[in-house]
Amino acid sequence: MDLKLTDEEKRMLQGEDGVVPRLCMEYLVELCEVAGADRLIDLDGTGDFHTPMTAMSPFYEFPIEELRKIVEQGAHFKIPTFANKAPFLFQPPVHGWEHCNVCAFQDDANLQSDPAFHEKAMRDEWYELYRRMGMMTTHSCANYLVDTYLPTMGQHCSWNESSAVPYCNAVLGARSNIDGSFATCFLGKTAYYDMHITENRYATVLVKTERLIKSDLEWDVFGFAVGEDAGVHVPCLTGTAKPTTTQLQKLNAAMNTGGAVRMYHIPGTTPEAPTMEFAFGGKAPERETLVGEAELRKAYETLNYHGSDTVDMVYLGCPHLNIVDMMLLARKLEGKKVKIPFYIMTAPWLYDVAKNIGYLKIFEDAGAHLMTGTCLAAMGAVPKGVRTIALDSAKQAYYITGCYPDEDNKLEVCYGSQDDCIDAALTGRWHGEWR
Amino acid sequence: MTEKIRIYGRKEFGGVAEAEALVSPKPLEGFANNNPARGYTTERNHPLFGVSYAGKILVYPSPRGSGGFMSYGVGPNKPAAFIHTEGCPLSVACAMVAHIPSMTDFERDPMEVIETGDTVLVNADEGYIEITKRAGAK
Repeated sequence: MDLKLTDEEKRMLQGEDGVVPRLCMEYLVELCEVAGADRLIDLDGTGDFHTPMTAMSPFYEFPIEELRKIVEQGAHFKIPTFANKAPFLFQPPVHGWEHCNVCAFQDDANLQSDPAFHEKAMRDEWYELYRRMGMMTTHSCANYLVDTYLPTMGQHCSWNESSAVPYCNAVLGARSNIDGSFATCFLGKTAYYDMHITENRYATVLVKTERLIKSDLEWDVFGFAVGEDAGVHVPCLTGTAKPTTTQLQKLNAAMNTGGAVRMYHIPGTTPEAPTMEFAFGGKAPERETLVGEAELRKAYETLNYHGSDTVDMVYLGCPHLNIVDMMLLARKLEGKKVKIPFYIMTAPWLYDVAKNIGYLKIFEDAGAHLMTGTCLAAMGAVPKGVRTIALDSAKQAYYITGCYPDEDNKLEVCYGSQDDCIDAALTGRWHGEWR
Repeated sequence: MTEKIRIYGRKEFGGVAEAEALVSPKPLEGFANNNPARGYTTERNHPLFGVSYAGKILVYPSPRGSGGFMSYGVGPNKPAAFIHTEGCPLSVACAMVAHIPSMTDFERDPMEVIETGDTVLVNADEGYIEITKRAGAK
């Protein structure tokens, strides 16, 4: 496919605007070639990327000195740009790190609660520069919940978090691939392919259910099962109640654990599907599939991975909890005392809110710890000595064991509802079951 | 003379590589479910759990999971080339990180032709793959 570039784009590619714009343009040209796109599109929405890495690709990274140079010349991001997740590589908690008894990637040198390690892992020298360029350092996989500024329908965006991209596409009706990077946000351009193109956004797979999907756990298990079934295709979901924001977060994360569902429709709920006909772009489904009782049970059993019912730790907040999640959780934990370590993860920008409203104190009085910005799977570890963890997230439940592949160092997972997890925290035992 | 099967497809990243194929019957998942330092998937229940893809032609139906899928293209234990039936931005990012021959969108599904142990030539520059069935195969 022949790539058509504008004169301005060609000029940047030739290096006339300097090293960084040239590297960014080279990156975008390669992105077009690999993706099969014939042009770049100017972004008019928002962006985020995994920071502080500039490209997530060794071939297009540049040193901090180059960044400093362009910042001093007044460079800024072309679109409103947010930081997705805590700083790489170690992804330290932004708040509550003092309580985070986790050695990143199971290396004793990387203890997150060590102040010297924390300071180093936060890599503030990069963010100082990024902030001057206009980056709003949200550091959250669910930054869309705290950004206070969302793309509108049809706007072209460049996000980079698999659980967030469907929020952009399916929930907001804006358009993004998983391609947020320094280059896309700095130049305000990306490859014109996949979810930027209207035809690719229509559903091809019609999903039906036997039970009405309505609880948080049902949405999470359903999302995983749909992902496994739909793969990279766009499903149209039927047989569900109206999802809450929490349930959309769970659905999006779970569908992008079981599969790669960056766009979906729920007729009557999501904006590009006022009806089933709109969802499929006026065409017939290519395939119909049933996510019935057997499929839901199978997904639930896949997400559970434990022999014993003794639980060593509870982790909630994948994706990061929203404020209503925290309000409800505080209500359930008030006046209680947990028996085992209990970590609660939210977005950094919600920490002070939770503190001011009083949830933080309730959590701490109950013996639980509120942290922000990261997750266990991102840190590649659970606290030392934890052999069985209780989780209410399909995504976290399916990934965390990947950090423990060795037979003599196994991690087991009890997966269920948030109430099951709270019960486990108070009793040290797992009583969850699929109903 | 051994029969060679040629299938045309779309180049994602250019180059030529020939090696033994490792076929994943299931989609592959990255992030915490891949260990690039060791060069194998760590996804529990996965048929390739613990099986090294280092230096192999890694053949899979489609990518799934988080953006961390790109870890399949990282480090000295990365495959020699990628062949996949379907893609999405996950496999695009992976090809960009790996800079090894990578192809998709074939005229015929390579998953139906290639078995683990077959020798596969990936000529991404000219847009085809060529399969030599392993000795003793049907």
